[in-house]
Amino acid sequence: MPSLSKMVLLGAALMLVAASYAQAQVGLTSNVATVALTATKAPTLTVTPNASTATLASITDNSNANDFTPVSLTTDWNLTAGSSVRLIGWFATPAQALVNGTSFIPSSKVEGRVGAAAYAPFTGAAVGGVGVAGGSLQLFSQAVGSGSFTGTRTDQLDLRLNLVGTTTVAGDYLGTLNVQAVVQ
Amino acid sequence: MRSGRSLLSLVALSAALALRAPELSAQAHVISLAATAPSTLSVTVTSGAVQNIAAVTDNAINSFPTPVVVQTAWNVNPGQTNTMNLVAYFTTPAQAMVGGAVQIPSSRIQGRMLSGSPTAFTAISQNGVGGVGTAGGSLLLFSISINGTNKDASRTDNLDLQLNLVGFPTLPPGSYSGVLNLRAVTQ
Repeated sequence: MPSLSKMVLLGAALMLVAASYAQAQVGLTSNVATVALTATKAPTLTVTPNASTATLASITDNSNANDFTPVSLTTDWNLTAGSSVRLIGWFATPAQALVNGTSFIPSSKVEGRVGAAAYAPFTGAAVGGVGVAGGSLQLFSQAVGSGSFTGTRTDQLDLRLNLVGTTTVAGDYLGTLNVQAVVQ
Repeated sequence: MRSGRSLLSLVALSAALALRAPELSAQAHVISLAATAPSTLSVTVTSGAVQNIAAVTDNAINSFPTPVVVQTAWNVNPGQTNTMNLVAYFTTPAQAMVGGAVQIPSSRIQGRMLSGSPTAFTAISQNGVGGVGTAGGSLLLFSISINGTNKDASRTDNLDLQLNLVGFPTLPPGSYSGVLNLRAVTQ
C-alpha cells in the first residue's frame, strides 16, 4: 500500500511530464533559411542641358557680337574615386562646326564660357579621352575627393560666334555642340 | 528399520515438493511502452536564395529580380498547435544591407507574398512573432490555422522583394549586401 507522500510525488512527476510534453508543441520553430541580398550602385556622372537648342537670330559679320541664347547645364556626379570632374564641349568635325551647304564656320570661330570666365574658342585638345583634337574646350574643372565624391552644379554656358575678320554667306548655319563630363 | 523410516521421509518430502511446485510464480512487473513521434517543421528556399540588383537607382523602387520560392513543411499535433506562421526578419534591422559605412535599414526592404498575408509590398519593420524575428525588423508572411486536415502538410509560396529608396539619401557607389532570415513558428 503506497504511502500518501509517495502518491503525491508520483502525481507531481506526472504533471511535470505532461507540462513538458505540452511545451514541446507550443512555439515549435523551424530551421532558419536564408536569402542573400546584394545591390550594387554604380558610379554616376551625368550632364543635363535645360535646352537642346541655342539660336542666334541674325549673324553680324566681322564682329564678335553674335551671342547664342544661353544654355543651362547641370552636372551631377556620384563617384568613388578621381580628383576632378571636368566638363568638355566639343565639335565632332572642328573644320565644320556650323554648316550652311558648302559654307563652313570652323570651331575656332565659336567661343564659349562658363560663369565669369573669358570667352575661349573650341580649339583645344581632348581631355581624358573626351573631345576632338582642335575642336574642344574645357568648360570647368572641379576638384573632388573624399567628402565631395557626390555633388552637383549648374552652370550657364554662353556661346558666341567670333566673326571678326570673317564674312559669311547668307543662310542658315547649323551645327551640334557636344557637352560631356569626365572624371580624372 | 532406520533406513526404512528415512526412505519414507524422503518420499513424503518429495511428494510435498511436487505438490508445492505449481504454486510458485514470480512477482508480476508492468512494463509501460511509450513512443513519441516528434513534431517537425522546416523551411526550405527552393529557388531565389541569392538575390542581386545589378544597378541600383537612387530615389526609386528597385525590385529584386526573381521571387524567393519558400517551401514550408510541418507535421504537428493539431491539439496543441493553433497556427503555423512564417516570419521573415533581419538580425539587425538598422543594418539590413550594408556597404562600407553606409547602412540601409530593414524599413527600406519590402516584401509581399501574394499567397500569404502581405499581398501588397510591406516594409520588413514589424515585430517578431512567437519569439521568432526581431523587433522592428520582421514581417509575418503567412499565418494559417492548424486542424486535423492540415496537421501534416506543406505549402510553397513566392516571396517578392524590393528595395525602396524613394526619399532615401543618395547612395554612394558600391555593393550593399545583407541576409534575410526565414523561419516558421507554431503558436
